[in-house]
Amino acid sequence: MPEPMTPLGLCLIAVALPLVGCLLSALCGLLKLNKLAHLPAILSFASAATLSTFVLLTLAKGDSNLSLFADLGTWFSVGRLDVPFSFHVDSISLLMLAMVTFIATFIAIFSASYMHGDEGYARYFSVMGLFVFSMCLLVTANNIFLLVAGWEGVGLCSYLLVGYYYAKPSAAAAARKAFLVTRLGDVGLILGVFLVWQMGGYHTNIDRLIHHIVEHPPTDAALLTACLCLFCGAVGKSAQFPLYVWLPDAMEGPTPVSALIHAATMVTAGVYLLARTAPLFALSPMAQIIVTAIGGTTALLAAFIALAQYDLKRVLAYSTVSQLGFMFMGLGCGGAIAPNIAILAAIFHLLTHAFFKALLFLGSGSVMHAMGNVIDMRKFGGLRKVMPVTHLTFLIGSLALAGFPLLSGFWSKDMILHALQDAGRSRSPFAFIYTGIFAVACLTAFLTAFYTFRAYFLTFWGEEKIPHEAHGHAHESPRAMLIPLIVLAIGALAVGAVVDPLTHWIGDFFERAPVVHEADHAFEKATNMVPGHHEFSWTMAGISTLLAFGGIGLAAVLYRKGGPEVVPEAMRPLQALSLNKLYVDELYGATLVAPAEFAATGARQFDGFVGSLARLISFVPRLIAAVLRPLQNGLVQFYALGMILGLAVFLTVVVVRSFR
Amino acid sequence: MISLPHFLAIGAILFGLGLIGFLSRRNFITMFLCAELMLQGVVLNLLAFGRYHGSLHGQAFGLFIITVAACEAGLAMALFLVLYKRGKSLDSGDWQAVREAGVSATLETEALPAYVPDESPTLPVAGRIPEQPEVTVQEPFRA
Repeated sequence: MPEPMTPLGLCLIAVALPLVGCLLSALCGLLKLNKLAHLPAILSFASAATLSTFVLLTLAKGDSNLSLFADLGTWFSVGRLDVPFSFHVDSISLLMLAMVTFIATFIAIFSASYMHGDEGYARYFSVMGLFVFSMCLLVTANNIFLLVAGWEGVGLCSYLLVGYYYAKPSAAAAARKAFLVTRLGDVGLILGVFLVWQMGGYHTNIDRLIHHIVEHPPTDAALLTACLCLFCGAVGKSAQFPLYVWLPDAMEGPTPVSALIHAATMVTAGVYLLARTAPLFALSPMAQIIVTAIGGTTALLAAFIALAQYDLKRVLAYSTVSQLGFMFMGLGCGGAIAPNIAILAAIFHLLTHAFFKALLFLGSGSVMHAMGNVIDMRKFGGLRKVMPVTHLTFLIGSLALAGFPLLSGFWSKDMILHALQDAGRSRSPFAFIYTGIFAVACLTAFLTAFYTFRAYFLTFWGEEKIPHEAHGHAHESPRAMLIPLIVLAIGALAVGAVVDPLTHWIGDFFERAPVVHEADHAFEKATNMVPGHHEFSWTMAGISTLLAFGGIGLAAVLYRKGGPEVVPEAMRPLQALSLNKLYVDELYGATLVAPAEFAATGARQFDGFVGSLARLISFVPRLIAAVLRPLQNGLVQFYALGMILGLAVFLTVVVVRSFR
Repeated sequence: MISLPHFLAIGAILFGLGLIGFLSRRNFITMFLCAELMLQGVVLNLLAFGRYHGSLHGQAFGLFIITVAACEAGLAMALFLVLYKRGKSLDSGDWQAVREAGVSATLETEALPAYVPDESPTLPVAGRIPEQPEVTVQEPFRA
């Protein structure tokens, strides 16, 4: 049990605080203090954020390994399976912890105003507390089963919050879809967990398990299977192709939920998982190339779909899917260049993305709030005069997402592109694939800039147009909603520059995580290549600047005057394809859902048939009884007559036989 | 000469009469008497065959049956007593209520003929004209 005032103890307190907040919020709901339910949540998130940021700043400088362990007793133990409550705080988890709690604090402040007066106010904040707790548990867990517990916890909270307006059929369907689709991935995750448990000498603590596997590598096929199983879980949770379909539908939940869970934190759990198990992936270059390929496919696909969407939140949702694809592309580079670069690029992009995407979602929430819950970009436009602060912060978020030079998204996207380019030039046998994916990534970066600014111009530029749902009093949001926007905008502006290119702080910080060393070590062992280090490349910065300016410029030319959108004749089929999401939902519906429903209907019919057969059989005794029941009429004479008649028949038979 | 068929015929007649009585009467006592009648028809059969074969087996069986019948009579009377106490009636038709649920009643039980008590239960005092007690028609026998 660690001392409470050590860095480790403070981290554990930071993990536990949201749970306290969750319980207190629920208590507020029970005591009919609905209006106060946001207080425990905000206060607990804020103190957790303060604690973890404090620890982060305390440990920020230094050269030694940053790796703190805590063991809080046994959770359960069955045979060879021994599962302790084991926590591990290193550079990656500390950064994640600080990021999650920090963003959650401001989203909770935003929600307090956004959800004001809602019936399920206490339920909302309580589930949000549970979510933040699960996420903190996920990032600090050292035991792989504890990690799975956090993983399932965030999945549950996502389900509860997507289905927050449960009386609305589309929200209920979206929640169910989100839960079932991620469940598909979770099947893989659980299989993968048991595989690595078995390969890792039956250790359940991630550090020992990974060390064991790196020291005694199993066969390539076994390792590849395990890696792909783990990746399958990440694909489900982080909405990668082919399981990304749940994320756009998850926008049915309240907008702050989309900001927190479906943009900034939960969906990055898959990236975190792959970073945490990076040494395993480093041993299997084949798995890495699959990760990159899936990431590239997803990024391009989602960016293409985002081009023609009219729903502002859906544009952002597809952009999230696309950016997650970028992170996986970055992670996959670890197979060709050093894992330390891959992890750094992915986690760095995760960090910056969390800021600007949360900002963009909150901005869209602010727009939605003012427009009377209308989110269709065809119905409003020219809002930059009506909502100046929202406009400005949204612009900053869009610039960061588009990769505008010097903003956070620029540095991190740049790092991923650079890693891909390097991977294409490496001695890896898959180098040519990496080159192809590098091209895909560049195209995606261009598309990203374009669709982001299409949404921006359609919303804020052109003629002022306000839907009648706003009832004529469209206004800037209250201050409680603007403050989080401003804070996150500062983050989106600065976090990239402060964190990497000027100071190299994050790179050095990550170097201190043992898992990064382990991964580099495994990489050396698997490929006989010496792992390099990240270096800033001016060419790459130039290319990505060009891409960003190109996308923004094209959007400005086409949409500067705002809506309505004019699509040239030649582009119509492409636009229809994009607007209808490449018909992926329809394809899944026809190939997977319809046969499953058919089989379910068949099974139900068969069940009904078996049931009626059983009822039929049970009917036979009743029928016989109904025939015989009148015989029991309560008259002694009648019974006697029966006996006499029976005797008569018997005697007749005897007599007739004896005469024959 | 009285031969075996005569005995058998008498036994069969007794049995038949008892059977008809048992099936057609509803008073428990009468039904019981009819059952006894059937039993005696059987006993007569046994005696007749015993005599015909010149052995005592028939008589021995007859004695057995009479003993058993005595026991049975005791039991039956006790049962009737209990039933009478419960229903204030000796009509077996009254007990058709114990039939299976959902089966309609077979008999319309009608009241038994009124019971008229004996007008002169005791001997009159000598030398005096006996008082005529008031003749009352009581309630039907069954309650």
